[in-house]
Amino acid sequence: MELSDWELVKQCQAGETSAFQELVSRYHQKVFMVSLGLLRNREDALDVAQETFFRAYRKINSFQGDSSFYTWIYRIAVNISIDAQRRQKRNPLEFRESMDGVLESQNEVAKDPFTDAHDRELREHLTQAINELTPEHKAVIVLRTLEGMSYKDIGQILGCSEGTVMSRLHYARKKLQDKLSVFL
Amino acid sequence: MTNCESNRESIGSWLDGELSPGESESVRLHLAGCAACSEVRRQLESLNLALKNQLTANAAEIEFLPFWRGVQQRINQKRPWHEEFLERCRELFSAPRMAWSVPAVIALVLALASIDFYLPGWRLGGPRNNFATVDSIDAHGRSVALLRENESKTTVIWLYQDQEGENEAAEDATKSGPAF
Repeated sequence: MELSDWELVKQCQAGETSAFQELVSRYHQKVFMVSLGLLRNREDALDVAQETFFRAYRKINSFQGDSSFYTWIYRIAVNISIDAQRRQKRNPLEFRESMDGVLESQNEVAKDPFTDAHDRELREHLTQAINELTPEHKAVIVLRTLEGMSYKDIGQILGCSEGTVMSRLHYARKKLQDKLSVFL
Repeated sequence: MTNCESNRESIGSWLDGELSPGESESVRLHLAGCAACSEVRRQLESLNLALKNQLTANAAEIEFLPFWRGVQQRINQKRPWHEEFLERCRELFSAPRMAWSVPAVIALVLALASIDFYLPGWRLGGPRNNFATVDSIDAHGRSVALLRENESKTTVIWLYQDQEGENEAAEDATKSGPAF
């Protein structure tokens, strides 16, 4: 029978490293995806995801189960990602290359040339529009879109109220809609 | 705010299933009868789909073992003290934790400002004295004395010219000659 996250946490707190390894195996992909959504760069996202689990390991004894483990781990990941976004002034050329790789891989599955061109343009503008969002707005969009999280969980992760989450989502979407109105 | 405006603010939350049953019904009814808001709803759905496609586009699986080895390496690695220190500072002073400091600073400033009101006998740097003299405000021997009485809320400002100052002023007047 599979152990719950809380049971694994308690084993971790008792010094079982294998329990922590199991927790990492459960959440590494999700944490990586959230970091990637926020940072838009694979290497940075991988670095943030590993740093997230390292910090979680160091603080595991302070985790009392007030929130779920995944909320706790996402909170660490989002905080590190937002911090990284603020500190790093990414080289635009490097960023461009990383996004081109994504766009090329997407083009391989496109069939109709008209749809292909339209989708490509939409993706380019969407990438730009996402990157123009503030880290807080980007965080709510990523957590809601990628993970389908409830406003309550997003609020717990970002340390704000559900009303603030609702408001941030509304304004983030409005900004994106305004910039992409011709493509939608 | 018009009905359309208030409904448009709720369409996103309605699509997310985050509204109460009453609010959901209100948005649903409005959308059923409003073509403009239905268009906003369609755009939002397109946007959500485009966002999902975009954010999951590079969702390549990352292999667990190399990832875990990276985490283990960090756990076993002894970090330099300054990195540890910076990390702790960042955690301590990160935005959500700093939220307490704003009301704390306001409370501290208010406390300092009102200390004289609540503790009128208390004074930094020696006994309280309600009599002050300012010397020669215009450098021509004139002085100002200020007497303030807290209990009766009386303030007396006394302008005077001392003898030395008067003589100097007289000398100045002689030297400068008549004024035209």
